[in-house]
Amino acid sequence: MKKLLAVVLTVAMLLSLVSFAAASSLAGEYEIKVWVADKIKDLTEKQIERFNETNEDGIKFKAVVESQGEGDAATNMVNDVEAGADIYCFAQDQFARLLTAKALAKLGVKAAETVTATTDEGAVKAVTTGDGTMWAYPLSADNDFFMFYDKSVIPDEDVDSLEKLVEDCEKAGKYFSFDLKNAWYNSCFFFGAGCKSEWLTDDDGTIISVDDTYNSDKGLIAVKGMKKIVDSDAWNSTSEVSAFESNSAIVVSGIWYSKDAQKILGDNYGVADLPSYNVDGTDYHLTSYFGFKLMGVKPQEDKVKAAALHKLAQYLTGKDCSLDRFEAVGWGPANLEAQAEEAVKNDPTLKVVNEQREFSVIQSAIHGSWWDIGKVIAEEIQPIAADDVDGLKQVLQNYENKMAAVFTMSSAEKEAWTVIGMYNEADGFFFTDYSDGKETWTADLAMVKGDNGIWKTEQAWPMEAGVEFKVRQGKSWDVSYGNGGDNFKVEEAGTYYIVFDEAATTISLEKAE
Amino acid sequence: MSETSMKRHMGLRASRAISNTLIYVLLIAISIIWLIPFFCIVLQSFRVESTWQVGYVIPKQWGFDNYVNLFSTDFPRWYVNTFITAVCTALLQTVIVLCMSYTLSRFRFKMRKPLMRFMLILGMFPGMLTMIILYRVLKDLGLTQANATPGLILVYVASSGMGYYVSKGFFDTIPKSLDEAARVDGATRFQVLKKIILPLSKPIVIYTVLTAFMGPWGDFVFARYISFGASAGMNVAVGLYNWLTPDQINKNYTMFCSGGVLVAVPVTLLFLFLQKYYVEGVTGGAVKG
Repeated sequence: MKKLLAVVLTVAMLLSLVSFAAASSLAGEYEIKVWVADKIKDLTEKQIERFNETNEDGIKFKAVVESQGEGDAATNMVNDVEAGADIYCFAQDQFARLLTAKALAKLGVKAAETVTATTDEGAVKAVTTGDGTMWAYPLSADNDFFMFYDKSVIPDEDVDSLEKLVEDCEKAGKYFSFDLKNAWYNSCFFFGAGCKSEWLTDDDGTIISVDDTYNSDKGLIAVKGMKKIVDSDAWNSTSEVSAFESNSAIVVSGIWYSKDAQKILGDNYGVADLPSYNVDGTDYHLTSYFGFKLMGVKPQEDKVKAAALHKLAQYLTGKDCSLDRFEAVGWGPANLEAQAEEAVKNDPTLKVVNEQREFSVIQSAIHGSWWDIGKVIAEEIQPIAADDVDGLKQVLQNYENKMAAVFTMSSAEKEAWTVIGMYNEADGFFFTDYSDGKETWTADLAMVKGDNGIWKTEQAWPMEAGVEFKVRQGKSWDVSYGNGGDNFKVEEAGTYYIVFDEAATTISLEKAE
Repeated sequence: MSETSMKRHMGLRASRAISNTLIYVLLIAISIIWLIPFFCIVLQSFRVESTWQVGYVIPKQWGFDNYVNLFSTDFPRWYVNTFITAVCTALLQTVIVLCMSYTLSRFRFKMRKPLMRFMLILGMFPGMLTMIILYRVLKDLGLTQANATPGLILVYVASSGMGYYVSKGFFDTIPKSLDEAARVDGATRFQVLKKIILPLSKPIVIYTVLTAFMGPWGDFVFARYISFGASAGMNVAVGLYNWLTPDQINKNYTMFCSGGVLVAVPVTLLFLFLQKYYVEGVTGGAVKG
């Protein structure tokens, strides 16, 4: 009897464990803030409501959905992560900035597996960093640019050739609106000719160098192609589809304006991928940037809330919600199942988006200064004669000079000595990137130059015995000193200034009073 | 022919007529240039055939749709926020400024001159410098985002003591003997302010109220920072600006125009009715008695 009781009790206990596991530990009510584009604000509210009703974990979100365009979201997040939204949408090129600002939470292993299996391959790449970690949920795969045109002016057979399009517009006395005074749009001539402009980031998402070949023979082809449109009276530098109302026949813009363009043009709505331009007998297809819209979850103190938020983000970027958005605002899903739907496959605008995607370059992190460096090209080549090769080359040279200056350190920075070393228990943020805990040898600690080439840290730091470090110049390992070839080692715990004698190349510790 | 002889030749009346004509032509040209944007905004706000920007000014179809639709957006909320902020700021700031001016004009105390100099120097720093710190402080007080309205009132009112110059100048022109007579008759300092000074300085009081009202009414930079994306805490300037982002411009452009017209209404009314005092207030303070 006793045995039976024991068995019964054990079973009961196990059952209770099981049922405990089934009623997920995520159950509960959470207050959250969500930022999405205004167009999908009401829709997202409905989708969150639906998530509340259908999810099996007993999660209830009380969500405040605010409209915040994908372009601005990152800037606002970076300004004050704490006050930012728990879930927000952003354009792919903002990814690195948000990583640097610690505004994105990692995906768990399971979530990462699901996203990898159900999402567009390119999109998965876009949210994954070098070490294989995923940081965001792909929301849509449609951020490139292409051509809206007025069918009553432009014959369909002309849409493949830039020269013919310019001619058609000139003949009809209409504008060809192409925002070439914007680096994002004029890059398509360079990429079309085979140029490269890639910004390289380190693991933290900080941009460290650029691989850019605008200033080359290919770049020369690109500016020659660009001349064909900027020299024409028909050229108008805008990407607003409302330009159709002020005498434009063509507007180069993107999916975000597709519904508006349809409304404005009505039956004359035409859409096509970008044309080719012809230089010296060869055709070059204009090659746009391509990017994804992503949905990020802000890192949370409350781990349970974080897990619940990840579930919601996964839901919002899943098949059903992607299809909702496609129907409501025409966004192209990143979700594979949604992509496979007939309606999505046959949508004329999305077809063009995907045709253009064949001629596109993935838009990843871009240094903030590039926009201003690149946007002047169209204006600079305008007064130069089309056959003045040296003049055109000079424009490219100016561009390269400005790009080179982005990463040039000042000579003071190059000569300055800094301390770099291992994690120091006595003081959690000495030597280290302090937001991320125990990373070592990652951050440089500044030193100040005193008399006779003696460099010294600005303040004394508590150090424990056994902490190792080196000093180096110009934040690079080309010139560095420790104790002989080894690292300098703290023998006795205490609070010290680190002192470096530049002439004798010796390190010493100076006890703080 | 020299210029003077030409003038003599034409006669005084003719030359005056010519110069007047020139001046009027110039003034008319300038006012046309200045008025065109307002004119366009008003016309666009009544355009109902489409909601995006177009290349013509006169609407093809007229209607009140844009005004009616405003009420299904967050606009009323922004309007109320702005109104509350502006009214509270106008009242509090007026009280503070008048007390400050009265004190500095009539009282003589030890630190008076150093205090005035200190405030003069403080005033030379652009207010925007303090923005980040203020944001931090307000955030810790919980007065940002949806609660931005009280936060904004606090910011606007807090610095108002420094805007005493004009009204102090005006108070200085009121003869001190009036105060003294009242004091001899047993009036307190406050009674002097209330019964003697204020009735004599109506223009300056109105000027203070007006400027205090105008500041928050059109503020954008501070308001945008402090509301930080939360629609419930925005003022009209910030809210309407959002309608011009690529995401919304084609849907909300004409509504933006009608919003702009509504924003202008209270300020226009205030100025129409108080214009007389406003001019007196601005110039009155400059006359030293």
